[in-house]
Amino acid sequence: MLRKVAIVGQAQINAADVGKSRERMLFDLVREFYKEMGITRHDIDTFVLCSNDFSAGHTISNVFEDCPVGAYMKDETKVEADGVMAVTYATARLMSGLYDTALVVGNSQGGSVMRPYLMMDYTMNPTYDRQLGLLNELSAAALQARAYMEAFGMTDEQLAKVVVRNLRNAAKNPFAFNGKADASLDDVLASEFLYEPLRQAHCYPFTDGACVLLMASEEKAKELTDKPVWVKGIGDSLDTYYPERSVSRCKSVKLAGERAYKMAGISDPANDLDLVEVTAKFAHQEPIICEGLGLFAEGSGGDVADRGLSELDGAMPVCPSGGALGAYAFSSGGMVRLAECYRQLTGTAGDTQVADAKTALAHGQDGLCLQHNAVMVVSTEEG
Amino acid sequence: MAEKPERLVVDVQVPLDYTYNYRIGSFLERYIKGLGDKKILGVKCPACGKVAVPPRSFCGACNKPMDEWVEVGPEGTVENFTIGHVKLDRGAVEKLDDPQLLAMVKLEGATVPLLAEVKGLAAADLKKGLRVKAVFKDPAEDSLADLSHFEPVG
Repeated sequence: MLRKVAIVGQAQINAADVGKSRERMLFDLVREFYKEMGITRHDIDTFVLCSNDFSAGHTISNVFEDCPVGAYMKDETKVEADGVMAVTYATARLMSGLYDTALVVGNSQGGSVMRPYLMMDYTMNPTYDRQLGLLNELSAAALQARAYMEAFGMTDEQLAKVVVRNLRNAAKNPFAFNGKADASLDDVLASEFLYEPLRQAHCYPFTDGACVLLMASEEKAKELTDKPVWVKGIGDSLDTYYPERSVSRCKSVKLAGERAYKMAGISDPANDLDLVEVTAKFAHQEPIICEGLGLFAEGSGGDVADRGLSELDGAMPVCPSGGALGAYAFSSGGMVRLAECYRQLTGTAGDTQVADAKTALAHGQDGLCLQHNAVMVVSTEEG
Repeated sequence: MAEKPERLVVDVQVPLDYTYNYRIGSFLERYIKGLGDKKILGVKCPACGKVAVPPRSFCGACNKPMDEWVEVGPEGTVENFTIGHVKLDRGAVEKLDDPQLLAMVKLEGATVPLLAEVKGLAAADLKKGLRVKAVFKDPAEDSLADLSHFEPVG
């Protein structure tokens, strides 16, 4: 029998330019977190770091992260993928019984140090796509946006509503920096086309960021907090890189969701979940992800936007935090979605709080056009 | 006494500049040779029947080798497209004076679309369903760029 695992604390920082090195950013964030939690680094059994060699600009990107986060001489490992995948790994380590506490720390500095679009360029097939130079993160996103909008009749205005909702939510979230309290449709529709129909306003902001989650086994979680947030379900799925896959629907997010729901005992996600935090790096990805997760009918993105169903007080609040349009740092991006679920379920989400939130879903992604998806269902109910 | 100017915090520029020597493999090599003869070659999966272009030596979905060569195109249909107003130069977004027309072209006989540039038409005329044909570089340069671009049929 595998053990229960809970999230017992979170910390995060997101900025266009954090103004300090990665090492110092991590040291400051994690030191403060330990103080808040009333623990020291010696209370951590295993450290799971999440960062990327290319974005760091050197191999073994965690080599300078261990000491700032307190992992000196400790059990430590790294996941080089989205943060939700790192949390999945930490959860498995805790479930195994080998460890009682895990500190997961994700980070990158795509705001001040390197250009995230270059990083995505370098994920591409070097002997073909990189030789031709036609495919990049933006042209790929634009092709996906058009595929969805054409297949299901979503308009530019309806897509702009997705942006407006996220930017307004982000303005209420102290951990997002790209919010705009008075964001309007006109702002978005006046935003420049990069690759049609993709506008600048549809894209995630370049971000320096880090996120910390403290995870613990059942007994330890109850010692560390009165409000543990239990990991109820985990799902992950990876599609092919190549363009034989449909991009207007996302099969891998659907499978990841189904795996997580099965583990969590969720049969009707649209009713059983109180909110979701998904990683839509581009606005059009939000309906694709939500539909794959079974939260809204396939192709209903335009209608959902018109009816405000994903607003804070809507039928299914999507990204009360403002999502990836409010801040998105590579590696920690998906962890931030989980951290936001934790804030919601512990009733500490401030102006973005969803009333009576008990069960939530966080989604992280990696690759072009939602190639790799990871999903985690978390709940206040121990079950 | 005059205040000392605040000390500058300096960013250092650290290039990551190294040339990797990848092997393109026999499949892409044969594809490039085909382009020199103004032929577009794909391969077919024996299990699911997928015809991939450019050719790949195995099918990810079926986990099977693909080794049946088929000639596809040179005509095809635009399945999806985007009009680029920028380009990326090492991750930096730069504005273009003239838009770049990119299309996912489903070539005759292929099942996987090919991303390519389309020329010879106004941006407003690029539509889903448009029939296009391949334009090859002549003389060939023995590179992927020998399939230069597509243009509208007729």
